[in-house]
Amino acid sequence: MWLPLALVLLAADALAVKRHDFKTCEQSGFCKRGRALAARAKAASSTWKSPYSVDASSVAISAQKSSFTASVVSSLYPEIKFELEVRAHDDGTFRVRMDEVDGLRKRYDETAKWALIREPTLSDAISWKQTKKEIKATNPKSGVEFRVQFAPLRIALSRNGKEEVVLNGNGLLHMEHFRLKDEPSPEQPPVENQEGEEQVVMEPPVKPNAWFEGDQPPQWEESFGGQTDTKPKGPESLSLDISFPGHGHLYGLPEHATRMDLPTTTGENAKYKDPYRLYNLDVFEYEADSEMALYGAVPLVHAHSTHSTVGVFNAIGSETWVDVDHPTSDSTETHWISESGIMDVFFLPGPTPDDVFMQYARLTGTPALPRHFALAYHQCRWNYISSTDVREVQARFDQDDIPFDVLWLDIAYAPNHKYFIWDEKTFPDPVDMFNDVAAFGRKMVVIIDPHLKKDTTYPVYKSASEKGLLVKPASGSGEYDGWCWPGSSAWVDYFNPASWDWWQGLFKIEGNNGDFHWRQSTTDVFIWNDMNEPSVFNGPEITMPKTNIHHGGWEHRDVHNINGMLFQNATAQAVMHRTDPPQRPFVLSRAFFPGSQRLGAIWTGDNLGTWEHMAIGIPMVLSNGIAGMTFSGADVGGFFGNPDPEMLTRWYQVGAFAPFFRAHAHIDTKRREPYLLDEPFKSIIRDVIRLRYSLLPVWYTAFRQASVSGIPVLRPQYTVFPHDPKGFSLDEQYYIGSSGLLVKPVTAPGIAETEIYLAEAQPYYNYFTAKIYRGKRSGTNVTVPATLYQVPLLIRGGSIIPTRERPRRSSALMARDPFTLRIALDASEQAEGELYLDDGNSYEYEKGHLVWRKFTASKVAKGPLKITSEDMAALQGGKNVVDGVDVVPFGSQAPNAFRDAVQGVRVENVLVYGLKSRPTKVSVGGAEIEWEFTEGAAAKSSSEGTATILRIRDPAVKIVNDWSIEVAF
Amino acid sequence: MLPPTITLLSLVLPLTASAALSADPNRKLRGVLPARRSLYTPTSAGTWKCLNGNKEISWDKVNDDFCDCPDGSDEPGTSACPNSTFYCVNEGHEGATISSTRVDDGLCEKECCDGSDEPEGVCPNVCEEVGKEYRQRREAEAKLRKTGSKIRSTYVIFAEKEKKRLQSSIAALKLEVEAKKKEEAHAKILLDHAESMSQASLAYKQQSPLYQSLVKHSEALKSLQARYQALQNRERALSDVLRNLKEGYNPNYQDMAVLEAVRGWDGLNPDASPVEETTESSEPVAEKEETVDPWDDNAISTLLREDHVSLLLQHDSHISQEDSTEEEGNHSAPFDRIGLTGAVDSVFDLESYVPDSLYPAYENARTQVVGLLTKLGVVRESTTAKARERHNTAINQLRNTESKLYNEEQALNKLYDPKWYGADGAWKKLEGTCLSYNTGEYTYEVCLFGQATQKSNNGGGSHSLGHFSSWNTSAPEGTPEYYSRQVYKHGAKCWNGPERSITVDLVCGTENVLLSVSEPEKCEYRVTGTTPALCFADTADKPAGSSGAKEEL
Repeated sequence: MWLPLALVLLAADALAVKRHDFKTCEQSGFCKRGRALAARAKAASSTWKSPYSVDASSVAISAQKSSFTASVVSSLYPEIKFELEVRAHDDGTFRVRMDEVDGLRKRYDETAKWALIREPTLSDAISWKQTKKEIKATNPKSGVEFRVQFAPLRIALSRNGKEEVVLNGNGLLHMEHFRLKDEPSPEQPPVENQEGEEQVVMEPPVKPNAWFEGDQPPQWEESFGGQTDTKPKGPESLSLDISFPGHGHLYGLPEHATRMDLPTTTGENAKYKDPYRLYNLDVFEYEADSEMALYGAVPLVHAHSTHSTVGVFNAIGSETWVDVDHPTSDSTETHWISESGIMDVFFLPGPTPDDVFMQYARLTGTPALPRHFALAYHQCRWNYISSTDVREVQARFDQDDIPFDVLWLDIAYAPNHKYFIWDEKTFPDPVDMFNDVAAFGRKMVVIIDPHLKKDTTYPVYKSASEKGLLVKPASGSGEYDGWCWPGSSAWVDYFNPASWDWWQGLFKIEGNNGDFHWRQSTTDVFIWNDMNEPSVFNGPEITMPKTNIHHGGWEHRDVHNINGMLFQNATAQAVMHRTDPPQRPFVLSRAFFPGSQRLGAIWTGDNLGTWEHMAIGIPMVLSNGIAGMTFSGADVGGFFGNPDPEMLTRWYQVGAFAPFFRAHAHIDTKRREPYLLDEPFKSIIRDVIRLRYSLLPVWYTAFRQASVSGIPVLRPQYTVFPHDPKGFSLDEQYYIGSSGLLVKPVTAPGIAETEIYLAEAQPYYNYFTAKIYRGKRSGTNVTVPATLYQVPLLIRGGSIIPTRERPRRSSALMARDPFTLRIALDASEQAEGELYLDDGNSYEYEKGHLVWRKFTASKVAKGPLKITSEDMAALQGGKNVVDGVDVVPFGSQAPNAFRDAVQGVRVENVLVYGLKSRPTKVSVGGAEIEWEFTEGAAAKSSSEGTATILRIRDPAVKIVNDWSIEVAF
Repeated sequence: MLPPTITLLSLVLPLTASAALSADPNRKLRGVLPARRSLYTPTSAGTWKCLNGNKEISWDKVNDDFCDCPDGSDEPGTSACPNSTFYCVNEGHEGATISSTRVDDGLCEKECCDGSDEPEGVCPNVCEEVGKEYRQRREAEAKLRKTGSKIRSTYVIFAEKEKKRLQSSIAALKLEVEAKKKEEAHAKILLDHAESMSQASLAYKQQSPLYQSLVKHSEALKSLQARYQALQNRERALSDVLRNLKEGYNPNYQDMAVLEAVRGWDGLNPDASPVEETTESSEPVAEKEETVDPWDDNAISTLLREDHVSLLLQHDSHISQEDSTEEEGNHSAPFDRIGLTGAVDSVFDLESYVPDSLYPAYENARTQVVGLLTKLGVVRESTTAKARERHNTAINQLRNTESKLYNEEQALNKLYDPKWYGADGAWKKLEGTCLSYNTGEYTYEVCLFGQATQKSNNGGGSHSLGHFSSWNTSAPEGTPEYYSRQVYKHGAKCWNGPERSITVDLVCGTENVLLSVSEPEKCEYRVTGTTPALCFADTADKPAGSSGAKEEL
């Protein structure tokens, strides 16, 4: 009896996050100080006043008039100097920087350098005006006013006379100045983890600053889990309060396993005990509902209300905790507590959700236009164990005609986890293997982790070590030694520019300059960067000690959250430059930071095969998208555990509607490739993967738009209907790009139907049956069938959905297939849609080698319905076509090799949903073509049931051409 | 086979499938199976009926790259209907049927060596070369099969011999069982007789405090032994858990609790730890442990098996001998002198020499003689013990013979059981044949129809990977596919994982040999190998026209 019991206990234990491995706010010195400060302010209430103020006499407005600097003093430490700088940018955003000047040391001030895509352009239309009490500026275009009050320092962004964002309104701004460890003070000697405990009794000396700082001195040293952080620079934390009066919803701040509309962490009925923590960590078996830190960190929030959306981007790379409170249902207060670094805050004025997306993207960059294959289905497992295994998996997929594009290799390919090196027993022929997979237009992704086995026979480590490219321990010399997969390991310091060139050299396939480089690979190989938080098994909180030293002498503390992004960045550059001309890279990363969206995809890490994790994956991916990381997804099936066939099937339906669609599984799980499932599950999964493939034109088109605007590919309800409060917390249904597809994947067992919220008086159509669901202006829930084989997927009336419906083995093999257009008429019998295509691999689109079409269906009263295709790029004059690129010249005369290559591709099927009556004739360029009409409900009516369907048979119009189909009545 | 660049190149071709199709009337028959060609003719009205008959379309719409028929039959030569198939003629080789999802996708299917699956000019016709290679390979395979099948036929002959051997063995054993049954019956009669005579006095003697105490001691010992064994099992299971933990724990879990457990285990088992200082100190401990405890499990079990009634009688006899050295000496001594005690004993042995026909008479006589002797006090109660012992022996012998018979009968039943050695018994020859494969770190051994094991080559332990459980149950019983896989299940349990198991995938070959080992899932192993048992003389080991044949093209 006892043995099974013990196993049950072990198993139960294995399915829980090790909370004690990670700090709570209470266990983190600076977070505890920050929260105590907030508590004192709250207790003091109206008598609380920020000690920080601007020296009005020091204000210096720049010659250009759009920025100024000023000295800031704190009444707590009048001898310490701070400088404030405020800039107004041409896109309407404002930037506020504050740093200690002439201090004992320098605060880390390079976060923005890594996060921003470029230095923002200053506005030439905004000028600052100073009075005795304040300095302010108004954006003449938007009417947004930005005001800096001098005493106490208070910064507010207002619109129409109403404050929308306020910094230091609650007086929690505090920049701990650098000090000497033995600075004479009335403080007791530092005692480890004893802050705030009862030993004050001895003699409570009256500290003049205790009202603000408390009566306990900041610690110089603290321990956790048996490891001590010596904090050689001493306390240097930064506390900021940012309020959003009039905004009752807060989004963003990934990565946390929580709802999109962020639950509160402080105040009355706070859902979570701790603040949201931003500290990239490898959290083993994380909880599906928690404020704990995860793999990535984006210090960006959107505050939303019926009247506007505003955002704040806090460019900070050190560990940061964020308390969220809604003091009233229509206001939000946040408190940001960071361990180190300067204050560098961007105010994004909105006023719509899309505006905030675009403003943030202007700062940190838009998501890169991915390789086309990267949007298809990825098959991963820890591990496909040999090249034979790889070939067999591919053959099994083909045998069952289940499409896939990418097969992944996890860590087991590399002997002793020496990445780049092949285990000769199991992978004797990697290049042949890659070519066998590539023969079907497919790719492979191979894992390269950031830890290098300390073994001088390992050429990668040897070379990094000889070149001095490795992260250093606290002493600042030698190599930091940590424990990861290979045992004793070292980490490359990507803050060192020399490491980038060296890293690029490793990925070269051809040539031989004597150094090791990856000859055993091909250009069909792409990279997975895992464990880049970085994960260090024997480090504090499973990561690097904060005292480690990076290039430039900066502590790891200062750059921790940035670190993982640089690894992905270096890899993306390396993959891109394997060929000349460069090709678009594909690199998946687990850690991320503002700017990561420019580099590739991320996933939500090591989730569990449970319904809870499946469900929370959707808001997590939505939140990532809100924060710029739109190319993200959760492991289909759950990394840990063995999902039952129903769960796995549903998870495929979730994954097929995520931007990054990958199935992955832990080494201890049973194999679960779709071909292994019994019927009906196998066929249902095959159908949903095929559905994803048929919709690839929609996904790619949505990514084009994201690459230009930064508007996420997955659009939560509130971003499409920003004035409808009923949609502000909906994070289970979402739109795909601007296509008009609305999906609500099922994430629970035994479901037969589900409710979808419709916020407008428009017909929506079931994607599969053309059944009409009628929305209402006041908003309404409609019931949509959702048994196991039914994905709740609707087309918004007014949309045209281009698809490619011929099942193929991989997306590359669909390149010449014809298109189907689904035209879903709105209540006024109009519809439009878009299609973007290019070669999917190169940067030739920058030269205009692309096809971008606009489809319109328009019916005039009593007249014909005209369905037309126009050149979208020409319509825009070649402006902002893709990824921030203008294409000039543009038009039918400009060279366009891609258009030439697909000029034979036609539209084979046109389906029109919701016409009012049976047509009399359908023609293209005067020639009649065949059609079929099924009676049903019209868009322009209130009748229920299946919509009328007009099927136009093979109009044979070419996808690259302008054309017009006329439906006469 | 085909570099992916061709896919891209073909994309550049200005030609589209539909344009090419409508231009060439012969293209109406593109992809049509030869046997179905006659079905692809238009009516005089220029129409055509979908093959399932439920829709009539214009002849123009056949193979025009648009799917009109729900059964997909109007598009045998394009990819317009995904539920259709495409036939490539492959002149110079063998024709093949592929899914229409593979037509006009820019990739030259290896099944269609004539290149007909793609628009003209995309794929070269390589049928001559492919056909030649294919025929060569077929020949080589046929040769291998032929050689293998000769070996296989010796397996069949072996099975025939085995059948005969088993049959005669079974016949002999049946006779033996009959004989043993009779012996047992005789012993039983004797025992009953002896017991009935001593029952009353025995009951009295069993009241003896000494006997009562002995019984209690024995019960106590039994109970202690059971508890000890339970503890031992528990200790063993715990050790297994910890050993598995130590060997199998995943350093990724970076779990201090697990690390502590491993260290603690090392501390408790200095032998297991490779650290030098502990091995030194462990030696004296090991020596100490070697001092033999006379009361080991076996000794205790033997003690517990003692027949207390016999002991009681022996005790009685022992005591009475001492008592009677004077008083009753006159009874026993003369018998002893004339060797009658021995004679009485030998009375019981006599039975083995008595011919069956005389046995009833003998039995009668013997009973009478013994009864008389007992009455006279000549034969003492110890005879009951002996009778019991004899009966036990007879039962044991009978059981042994019966179980031998059962085994042989089972062996005969399995010999031609398709679930075991096949309808012709060919696999019988390989029963107990152990095949092994060395991966460097481990040697994997599969003893066919027995157990599979994984042995460490670096002095580590060995794990059972399971016992033979079944053939390939996903294939119909008795087919070559059925015999191409053996499954071994219920091996040693993995740390935090399942019981180990292994599948053995075999193909025709002239030798019984393993070729590869892999672990596709944790603790679920797979080996591949060859055996002549899968070489069939006439038919291919994969039926012609199966997916296997297609893949080989």
